[in-house]
Amino acid sequence: MTITTLKLNLGPQHPSTHGVLRLLLELDGEKILSCEPDIGYLHRGMEKMAEKLSYIQYLPTVDRIDYLAGFFYSELLCRIVEKALGIEIPEKVRVIRVLLLELNRISSHLLWIGAFLMDLGAVSPFFYAFRDREMILRYFEKLTGQRMMYNYFVFGGVRRDIDFLEEVENIISVVSEKLNDYDKIITENPIFLRRTLNKGILDKETALNYSITGVNLRASGVDFDYRFQDCLYKGFDIGTVVLEKGDAFTRYQARTLEIKESIKIIRQALDYLKKSAKLEQKLVNPVNLKLPEGDYYADIEAPRGLASCFVRSLGEKEPYRLKWRTGSYYSVNLLRKLLVGEFLNDAIAISGSLDIILPEVDK
Amino acid sequence: MDWNKFYEVFSDCEIQGSKILIKSRLHDVIKFIKENYPFDILKEIIAIHNQDGSFELIYHLYSTIDEENLLISIFVKDKAESIVDLFKSAQADENEIYDLFGIEFTGNDNLKRLYMPESWEGHPLRKDYVQDDTRLCWNDDNDA
Amino acid sequence: MNYLYFLYIEFLQRHNIPKLFGDITYYIIPFCIIAAALLVVVLGLVLVERKLLGFFTQRKGPNRVGWWGLLQTLADAFKLLCKENITPCKVDRFLFNLAPVLVFIPMMTALGIIPYSSEFTFVNTSTNVILYLILAAFPVLSIFLAGWASNNKYSLFGAARSISQVLSYELPMTFVILSVVVLASTMNLTGITLAQTSLWRFSGWFIFPGFLGFVILFICILAELNRCPFDLPEAESELICGYNTEYSGMRFAIFYLSEYGMLFANSLFLAVLFLGGYLSPFGKYFFSSSFLIYFEQAFWLFLKASIIVFLIIWIRATLPRLASFDLIKFSWAVLLPLSILNLFIAVIIKFMGAGLCF
Repeated sequence: MTITTLKLNLGPQHPSTHGVLRLLLELDGEKILSCEPDIGYLHRGMEKMAEKLSYIQYLPTVDRIDYLAGFFYSELLCRIVEKALGIEIPEKVRVIRVLLLELNRISSHLLWIGAFLMDLGAVSPFFYAFRDREMILRYFEKLTGQRMMYNYFVFGGVRRDIDFLEEVENIISVVSEKLNDYDKIITENPIFLRRTLNKGILDKETALNYSITGVNLRASGVDFDYRFQDCLYKGFDIGTVVLEKGDAFTRYQARTLEIKESIKIIRQALDYLKKSAKLEQKLVNPVNLKLPEGDYYADIEAPRGLASCFVRSLGEKEPYRLKWRTGSYYSVNLLRKLLVGEFLNDAIAISGSLDIILPEVDK
Repeated sequence: MDWNKFYEVFSDCEIQGSKILIKSRLHDVIKFIKENYPFDILKEIIAIHNQDGSFELIYHLYSTIDEENLLISIFVKDKAESIVDLFKSAQADENEIYDLFGIEFTGNDNLKRLYMPESWEGHPLRKDYVQDDTRLCWNDDNDA
Repeated sequence: MNYLYFLYIEFLQRHNIPKLFGDITYYIIPFCIIAAALLVVVLGLVLVERKLLGFFTQRKGPNRVGWWGLLQTLADAFKLLCKENITPCKVDRFLFNLAPVLVFIPMMTALGIIPYSSEFTFVNTSTNVILYLILAAFPVLSIFLAGWASNNKYSLFGAARSISQVLSYELPMTFVILSVVVLASTMNLTGITLAQTSLWRFSGWFIFPGFLGFVILFICILAELNRCPFDLPEAESELICGYNTEYSGMRFAIFYLSEYGMLFANSLFLAVLFLGGYLSPFGKYFFSSSFLIYFEQAFWLFLKASIIVFLIIWIRATLPRLASFDLIKFSWAVLLPLSILNLFIAVIIKFMGAGLCF
C-alpha cells in the first residue's frame, strides 16, 4: 500500500491568514508534514517606490507598511532624516512621539488579541478588543485626522501640538480595567488553555536563529528590548516582559503584560505633557530636502518585532536605496519549522500567535 | 570588541568602526564571527545595486547580549555564498534578494520568485530595470 | 388513533368526503404545517441568535430591516433564494444535489415526532425515542455526502471531522436517553412526558434525578449539532466553511435552515426528556377549555426549548473551539463513563422506589 499525502493550499483567501498569506501544507490526515509559506500577494513595491520619490513624498506612504502600527514606520523615516541632517528634536516632540507610539502599540496588541481568539473560535473577545481599540483610533482620528494612516510625524517634529490629553487618560484607565475582564473570559478559560499551552514551543536558539524579535523573542526568554537603547525613550522608566516558555500561551501572556507596561510609559508621558508649555519646534523644509551622502540606519521596537530602515543617499533628492526590516517577515519564515508535526487546528493557533501581518511582510 | 583574533584568520579584511569590508570567503567569515563572537541574530541582509553594476551585500549582525551592531559588507557580481546553514533567517532575505536583484546564492536550493511571477523577466530593484514596463499595462490595445 | 384524528374524520364526514381521503391527508397535512411553521421558527431563531450575539458583544445586532431588525432574516433568505445555484464543474453532481435534500428530511421528520401537546403529535409510535436517535444522527450522512461530493479538501476535512465527532458522541447520548427510558418505563415521547407529571409543580421532572444526564445530553447535542465549542466540522478559521464551502444560493440556505431546524428539534427533544415536555411548571394550566389547553401546553414546551436555545447561543458567545483531539478524548474518557454511571443511578432510583423522586 502506498501512502499518499494531501497537499492543502491554505490561503491566500482564507479567514485565518490575516490578509493574504498562502501556506502550502503537506498533510498526513490532519498532521502537517511540511509547510511552505508563499507571500507577495500584497506587495506594493515600497522600496522601489522610495527610489523615485522625494523624502516628503514618501513619508505618507510608509504608514501603509504596517497599517496597524503606522506611527512606528513614519517615526523611522523621520529619524533617518533627522539623523542625517543632525537635528535634535525638542523634548516635547520626543514625549509626544513616545505617547503616540505606545498608544499605537496598545491598539495593535488589542487587535491581535481579538484576532487570535477569533482564530481559536471564540467570537466575543474579538468584539471586546475592537471596542477598546476603537477608543484609541477615535483619539488618533481627533488628533491626526486619520484612523490608521496618520502621517502625523514630520521631519523635525510633529504636524501639530498634542491635544485632548484627558481622553488619553480615559483610554488608559478603561483599557487597564478591561484587561482584567480579558483575564476572566480568556485566560481563565480551560478550553483556551488547552488550545494554547505547550503549543508551538519556540526555544531560545531557534528564535534567535530565525531572527525573531519583539514580543515573540521575549516570550522565549531572551531579554532583548530595543527601547532600552532607543534615544527616543531616554528618561522613561521602561518595564519589559520576559517570559520563559515560548509557547502560544506565553506569547499571549507577554502581549497582555506588554499592554500594561505601555500604559505605565503613557502615564509618564502624560505627566510630562500636562506640565509642558506650548510646542515650539523647527521643522525641516521638505522642499529640496537632500540628505548628505552616506548610509543611515535606524531601528525601533515595533509591536511585531524590531523594525529598521536603511537608507543610502548619494546626496540626491531621493534615496539611492531604501530597505525596510520588518518583524513579521521573519515570523513567516519561522512557520516552515514551527508548523511541522502539528495538527491543522493547532497550526492555526500557532501561526495566529506569532502575530503576522501581511502588509508588513510584503512591503 | 577584540578583533585581533579575527585579523589573524582573515587578514585581507578591513574594519571601519562596526563595519567589516570583506572581499571573499563570506561564509567562512560569518561562521567564524558566529562561533567566536557573541553575535546571535542576523538582523537582515541589505543588497544594493551600485552604479558600476556590482552588488553590495551588507550582512547586518546583532548581538542581543552586548547590544552591538556589526555590518559585514561584500561586493559580488551576481553570485554569492549562501549562509542559510548558519542563520535560518537568511532564507527569507536571500529569497527576497534573489527575486528583486537576481543574485544567486550558492548552497541555497530553495530559491524562488517571491513577489514577482515565476516567469517574470528582470529584477525590479536593479538600477537598470526598465521603468515604464509595458507588461504592467493591461490595456486592450496591448492584447493584440 | 388520537383525539385530533377523530375530530378530523368527523369534520370530513360531515362534508361527505370519504374516510380514505382523510386517512391519507391526516399524515400529509401535519408535514405541511411543520414546513410552514419551520420557516417561521428558523427565521426567528436566526434573528434571535444574531440579536443575542449582538447583545453579548455589546453591539445592536441587525436593526435596519423592519422594526428592530425583525425582517432581516427574511431579507437574507430572499437574497439567498435569488442567488445563482452554482454547481462547480468537478463535483459529483448527483451526490452534490442529493445532500441538501437528505439533510432536510430527517429534520422535518424529527420535528414531527415531538409531542407538542397531549393530543398533538404528528407521528406517534411506541418507540419514538429510537426513531429520534436515528433521525438525530442522520444529518451527518448528508454532511459526509456534501463534503465528499464537493471535491474540495476543506469540505472533505469538515466531513471527516463531522463523522468522527458524531461517532464518538452517539454512544453517551444513547446511554443517557436509555436512562430516561428506564425512569419512564416507556419509549414513547408522550409517555415520557406523562411520566414526569408530579404532585407538586415541577418536582417530577427527570432533570432532578437525572441532572448529570441532562448535562451530558446537552453536551452531546452541542456536538451533534456542530455548535460551538464543537464546531470543528465548519470551523470558520480553519476550514473556511467546512462541508458546505462549495454550496451557494438555495442549497446553502437549506443547509443553514436544517442546521437551525435541527437545533430547535434537539432543544424540544431535550425539553421533552428532562424538562417535563409540555407540562406546565406550575402543576396546573391557566386555561380550562380543552382546546386552549393544547395551545398552553405547546407554549410551555416552546418556552422550555427557548431556554435551551438561549443556553446554546450563550455558550457560542463565550467559548473558543475545542481541539480535534480533545474533542474525541472528552467523549470517550469523560462523557461515556459518566453516562454509564448515570444509567446506573437511574436504574437504582427506579428500583429503590419511585417515591424518591416524586
